[in-house]
Amino acid sequence: MPNTDEIACSRRGASRAPAEGPDAEGRSGFKMLERPLRVLSKARRFQWLRLLLGGETADGAGRDGEAVPAKLPKALTRTLRGFEPPPMPYAAADDLPERKTRRRGAGRRFPFSLRGGQRGGGEPAWLMLFVFCAVFLLSALPLIRLGWAGFGGLVEGEAARVLFEPATFAALRNTLITATGGMLISLMLGAFFAFAMALTDIRGKLALSFAFMLPMMIPPQVTALAWVEMSGPSSPLLKALGLAPPLGSPQPLYSFSGIALLLGVQHAPLVFLAVKAGLAGAPRDGVEAARLAGASPWRVFRDIVLPLSFPGLIAGAAIAFVSGIGNFGIPAILGIPASIETLPTLIFSRLASFGTATFGEIAVLSSLIAVVSAAGLLLQQRALSGRDYRLIGLFGANAAFALGRLRLAAEALLWALLAVVLVAPLLALVASSLVPAYGVPLNFQTMSLHAYGEILFRQSVTLTALRNSLFLASAAAVGLLVVTVPTGYLLVRRRGALANLLAILIEVPYALPGIVLAVAFILIFAAPLPVIGLSLYGTIWIILAAYFSSFLAVSLKPVMSAFLQMDPALEEAARLAGAGFLRRTRDVLLPLIAPAAGASVILVFLIAANELTVSALLWSAGTQTLGVAIFNLDDSGSSDLASALSVLVVLMVIALMAALEFIAKYLPEDVLPWRN
Amino acid sequence: MKTLLSAVAAALVAGLMSTAAFAGNLILYTSQPNEDAQATVDAFMAANPGVEVEWVREGTTKIMAKLMAEIEAGNPVADVLLIADTVTMQRLKEAGHLMPYKSAEAAAYDASLYDADGAYYSTKMITTGIIYNSSAPMKPAGWQDLAKPEAKGLVTMPSPLTSGAALIHAQTLAGVDGLGWDYYKALAENGATAAGGNGGVLKAVATGEKVYGMVVDFMAIREKAKGAPVEFVFPAEGVSAVTEPVGILKTAKNPEPAKKFVDFLLSEEGQKVAVKMGYIPARNGVALPEGFPARETIKVLPVDAAAAAKNAEADLKTFSGIFGTN
Repeated sequence: MPNTDEIACSRRGASRAPAEGPDAEGRSGFKMLERPLRVLSKARRFQWLRLLLGGETADGAGRDGEAVPAKLPKALTRTLRGFEPPPMPYAAADDLPERKTRRRGAGRRFPFSLRGGQRGGGEPAWLMLFVFCAVFLLSALPLIRLGWAGFGGLVEGEAARVLFEPATFAALRNTLITATGGMLISLMLGAFFAFAMALTDIRGKLALSFAFMLPMMIPPQVTALAWVEMSGPSSPLLKALGLAPPLGSPQPLYSFSGIALLLGVQHAPLVFLAVKAGLAGAPRDGVEAARLAGASPWRVFRDIVLPLSFPGLIAGAAIAFVSGIGNFGIPAILGIPASIETLPTLIFSRLASFGTATFGEIAVLSSLIAVVSAAGLLLQQRALSGRDYRLIGLFGANAAFALGRLRLAAEALLWALLAVVLVAPLLALVASSLVPAYGVPLNFQTMSLHAYGEILFRQSVTLTALRNSLFLASAAAVGLLVVTVPTGYLLVRRRGALANLLAILIEVPYALPGIVLAVAFILIFAAPLPVIGLSLYGTIWIILAAYFSSFLAVSLKPVMSAFLQMDPALEEAARLAGAGFLRRTRDVLLPLIAPAAGASVILVFLIAANELTVSALLWSAGTQTLGVAIFNLDDSGSSDLASALSVLVVLMVIALMAALEFIAKYLPEDVLPWRN
Repeated sequence: MKTLLSAVAAALVAGLMSTAAFAGNLILYTSQPNEDAQATVDAFMAANPGVEVEWVREGTTKIMAKLMAEIEAGNPVADVLLIADTVTMQRLKEAGHLMPYKSAEAAAYDASLYDADGAYYSTKMITTGIIYNSSAPMKPAGWQDLAKPEAKGLVTMPSPLTSGAALIHAQTLAGVDGLGWDYYKALAENGATAAGGNGGVLKAVATGEKVYGMVVDFMAIREKAKGAPVEFVFPAEGVSAVTEPVGILKTAKNPEPAKKFVDFLLSEEGQKVAVKMGYIPARNGVALPEGFPARETIKVLPVDAAAAAKNAEADLKTFSGIFGTN
């Protein structure tokens, strides 16, 4: 048996360079497990939603105490790391020839093979087959189908006609303008918050982070509605304050800058997360050394912190840009009244107004979105390539800057920003759900709960939508675990080309705009399925299938973190004691990843329950989702009802996030985006 | 953790049960606003216990796109259609998608208000006129007023790409001497916008984002009664009208409840439900709702339904060309 103390130390090696022998305190390897593997989770703490789970290619073998080249992988959304992967848990002894257990970042490459028998960690061959088939069906098939339709369009000359239409050009231009503007605003907001949280000693960081993450969790169409209610000549809020603009002034948000502003607010949390993750790897001792040498805080920030946060900024910018390209809810509510079409709203209106003769056209348009998104991500890779961000030493520039007397001002500024981007719109939303008719000023005499009564007790569509969203969200959240638990296990235990391919395949559907995915699923399911002869189009199952594909990456993330933190020794011990794979799964693996699986369920549930883009194209009679119901209520002119339903949805989101916060102590460190 | 999982499991089971229970209901596709659709369905279900109705609401153009997509996919979900205009119904009938049904209630209706074969029946009269904000400096009296400099940048209208009534309205005005497509061009030059459905127009004018708008009568009159600062005029040149016909699809999975639904809408009781919501009833001998002028004083502009049906696609393109692509 290997010396567990040695293992324990080696696993902490990264934070103690160089490692020196057994732990002085004589902690056992099992004890170590209770402590989160900070180094690894730091290393993996990146853009939590759009990470690419392909680990580093296994050519940077690390020895104790040496920084390993943190190659920026193909992963387009990884942020800065400078960490050292732990060494192999066991000396490569020859006494167990079939043992090829590998930890991430461990030495050599072991290509997959699908040969049966007890390979690798002793998992049965069917597991690999199951995971591969599942990922293929959920990720590769829709993309292949879409590509095929797009290609067919090219061959028939349909593509050329669509691509050179003035409407397409205009939509492409509008999409790029709004996404770029949104990206810049996200960068400013997100980076400001991230620097303040990661580098200064302000108080109430958890509350600030939690509140700052909210805009990302609230459905975009609700955000748009809330802002519309907040501004413009009839804003109940502005009227109550006597600040309403004069009659006939256009709603300022129905414009390019309005769309960009809201995209910026919606996606600022993504930048915030990326930059914060990058800063977690900033060298504390470097900052301290500079401060001791007498450098001014500004100089330290400019010369040390800023250059090191560059990868996080670039990654955040790319994510914000791609999210802006694919956003449907905001341009739908703000752009349509102003005749500003973006590519997603163009696809939607084409599908809605000209019937289905245009599948080829729509496939071409969604391929165009996919190409633009990919171009954005490639730009990011270009910006980061050829730089080396290897670091050694202590991580985490925790509160490097004491603000002193400025602290109160900084806190006030942060909360004021949150008040403007979050609290005021939500208050406006509540106000507009209480007005009896449009344009009536809100006060205690005119206040009415009619809208709430209507949506809760009379509108069957609300209940239908709520039922569908709850069903879809819980089915996707729980059902995905069946795929993501084995997938996470395999990706952590095995390395190689096939694992990397799987990781990329899982990531792509999430990185693509939802509308593209929805179109792919329409193409797959519009015709009756072979063998059964049933058409899923127009049923709830097509939405569920699209959700499975879309949220695979979200579901995998927490599970993967849990597997990364698990010492293989545990499973190994069970195996040596003669436990079969299923038995080990039941008694060792599942209990250890249960909390993370719970977090995965809630995260997917949260995102799926509020989803609009995918279901906007796929809904039908009786299969409306909450997102569709809100959008449709607003569309039919009942924005008081839309606001009331939105208020309820926001309450649900806050409750779910609070539930996650409640179970936070049982979770791997990097699962909840607002915690650090 | 365990409680969380069991809660999720319970939600799953409940979801599955309810999805399963959803088969066998009457499915209605309608373009009425949500509250009206719900009230109509509620009144019908109260009169016919035992029939459950599921309904979907979208603008006429969009609901048709949805239906056509379903027909294309070989799985039309709807049993009954209740949409804005007879032109669309006529097109559906010609394509062979509607089931002829002779309702006994038709006797109380003008023969021009229903299809001779019983493929569809008009249920009400919806005219499109001018809505303006109470604090508007100019009080419009006719369509031409909206093209005046006083209204520059202050006019909005529903888009035919969303609303069936808006398409008929545009086709009607386009056929009137002295208005025509030139009138729409003049509006566009005057900064008028066209987007979304009637609800959006109502909201924009009531909230003061815009001051003048073209909108369906009942919305404006009803909202005024609720206290919104809006006025509605039937313009001097006349108004366009749609009649919100109902029809049963040939592929209906629940034909019997569907026939009951048609009968109910045409019956005196069903017509009174419509009046209560603020619609002009189509049935003879039912009084108009509050806030409307007498029936005979409203001048309805004629529209050639057959030509309108034939030119719908081209007119949509013309309109899009004038107002951009929405």
